[in-house]
Amino acid sequence: MTSKRIGIESSLAVSEAVKLANVDVIAAYPITPQTHIVESLAEMVANGKLDAEYIPVESEHSAMSACLGSCAVGARTFTATASQGLILMHEVLLVAASLRLPIVMAVANRALSGPLNIWGDHSDAMITRDAGWIQIFIENGQQAFDQVLCAFRIAEHPDVLLPTIINIDGFHVSHVIEPVYILDQKSVDEFLPPYKHPRPLDPDDPITMGCFAAPNLYTEARRALDASVRASKTVILDTWKKYGDLTGRYYNPVEKYKADGAETILVTMGSYSENAMIAIDDLQDQGKKIGLVRLRLWRPFPYEEIQEALSSAKNVIVLDRAISLGGPAPVCSEIRAALYTLDKKPQVASVVGGLGGRDISPDNFKTLIDVAMGKLKAGETQEIIMFGVRE
Amino acid sequence: MIKDTSIEIRWHGRGGQGAVTSAELIALAAIHEGKFAQAFPSFGPERRGAPVLAFNRIDAENPIRIRSGVTKPDIVVVLDPGLVTLINVTDGLKPGGCLVVNSTRTVEDLQQEFSGDWKLAVVDAASIARELLGVNIVNTTMVGALLKASEAVKFDSLKAPLGERFGARAGANFEACMRAYNSTAISQITTTGTKKPKSFAVEKMPGWRELLVGCMVTEPGNTKRFGTGDWKSQHPVWDDKKCIKCGICSLVCPEGCIKPNNEGYYRANLFYCKGCGMCAHECWTQAIKMVEGT
Repeated sequence: MTSKRIGIESSLAVSEAVKLANVDVIAAYPITPQTHIVESLAEMVANGKLDAEYIPVESEHSAMSACLGSCAVGARTFTATASQGLILMHEVLLVAASLRLPIVMAVANRALSGPLNIWGDHSDAMITRDAGWIQIFIENGQQAFDQVLCAFRIAEHPDVLLPTIINIDGFHVSHVIEPVYILDQKSVDEFLPPYKHPRPLDPDDPITMGCFAAPNLYTEARRALDASVRASKTVILDTWKKYGDLTGRYYNPVEKYKADGAETILVTMGSYSENAMIAIDDLQDQGKKIGLVRLRLWRPFPYEEIQEALSSAKNVIVLDRAISLGGPAPVCSEIRAALYTLDKKPQVASVVGGLGGRDISPDNFKTLIDVAMGKLKAGETQEIIMFGVRE
Repeated sequence: MIKDTSIEIRWHGRGGQGAVTSAELIALAAIHEGKFAQAFPSFGPERRGAPVLAFNRIDAENPIRIRSGVTKPDIVVVLDPGLVTLINVTDGLKPGGCLVVNSTRTVEDLQQEFSGDWKLAVVDAASIARELLGVNIVNTTMVGALLKASEAVKFDSLKAPLGERFGARAGANFEACMRAYNSTAISQITTTGTKKPKSFAVEKMPGWRELLVGCMVTEPGNTKRFGTGDWKSQHPVWDDKKCIKCGICSLVCPEGCIKPNNEGYYRANLFYCKGCGMCAHECWTQAIKMVEGT
């Protein structure tokens, strides 16, 4: 394995990964909220550097529809979007999952209207939670590159065949230039076998995809889809192991940072985890018994790993970068559910912050932890803490 | 006559015949009487001509909470004569219950098809509807037959809902209802029918582990086996003397089932023909007539 260290915008690192994956079809809508990902892929195709079909479409709904068709004929398929673009895709997203079409998509996570806002948060990913897509979060440009390559191998694995989203925090990762190790083509070719759909659409061997299911079949169809999403974890773990063996960069569904033996654990997802690490370093230097757990695999949700990582803590603080209006914050809700069956449960404080592009700096994280600890000590864990909100 | 504080009715019809309207009228009449009642259709991919279901519940005393389909009806009403041999219309019909059928056959003849402790009420609703309403839509007519067979609601209670639903045509519909009420023949099915009861295939559905990836169907064109011809109540008949072999009937057929024979005259494949009548409507020379029956 050889790899080249270059300075590159994370979006373009994603494009490099897609190019190395030798993708067959890219269908995308190029207007805001879009990233440089598909812009650079369009250039690669136009300049003959990537032998693929680039389909410019009239909306994200059409982008995902085109992806559906190309993936169904057995073409390796990629698209990217974010924010309102992702929710305009929604109808077709669910169909892609139910047809078991392994489309890979990069989502540069951003807020949803309204008020109109296209800055970074996790609103778009959360509203896509139940669509049947595998969802993986990354924290920096290198991880974005790595996980896009892994995503093709996971999604297209014959035991999986599920569409997969790599969530890349909008702006905080997507628009940042940083050093990334780009793998050589030969290593990627060895790591990533060709995509082979078990029965692609073929005029010479016709099949039907996308039939309706009446009440006497829909439950079975949904059960089968749910089982496949849950079972995909085996292939995800295997893929990350193989990728780690290849590159030395190992990934896990739940990743700990200085969390062993910590009384209090902060849980984050996405790029703010790196800010949180700096805060944790400082707090541990001050003798505070606090560690960090980062959630990488959002769907399928890693219940066992979360239980293992959090069960010995006394306090857990969960940061959500999205809000479920009138309900519990989505990540915290899942974590509380995962802990519910434990005999000895940590107290859980739910914090919502970093909405619509608002920064949570390392210093902010220390404040956030202070506020949450105050509520935990007072036993006031029912209400969500809206971090940094002006009264 | 069935007397109970609670009655459940299942309506069998075809899309377009008005089974849902029948059920609505009965429920509105019952509610008008101060009773509790429900009317609801079975929700599915129904199209004009496809077998459909509608349901009623009436309770003279208690609010109705159940929101499931009726599986053990007191009364079954069949709007289309062809359904009797196509569907197990008496499925779950309670002993002592009543079967109301639109048919040109006599009650004595028709009862040979059934075996069970039921009353059979028969009326030639199609003839009544065509005479009084000008169309073969038997929803209001069959309401009349139902009321002859049971005291589900009072006849007069129908007037208000009929007026609201049919406006200027309410009078004709009420008359059809009345005519059916007066000409419905009722007989107790005393013995086991002399004909062997027809057995109806029960579809075996797969378990979730048996489904192919993404629920794909790997057998192309299997809808060929689906005889949509079952849906029709009329079929086209060609008068070759008038036919100029223009083929417009074949072009307009939404089912694509009209093709020329060896002599160039057109015929419908009745296995698929849904009896929509578009061919007869569009024929320049009026060489096609729609004739009752499948």
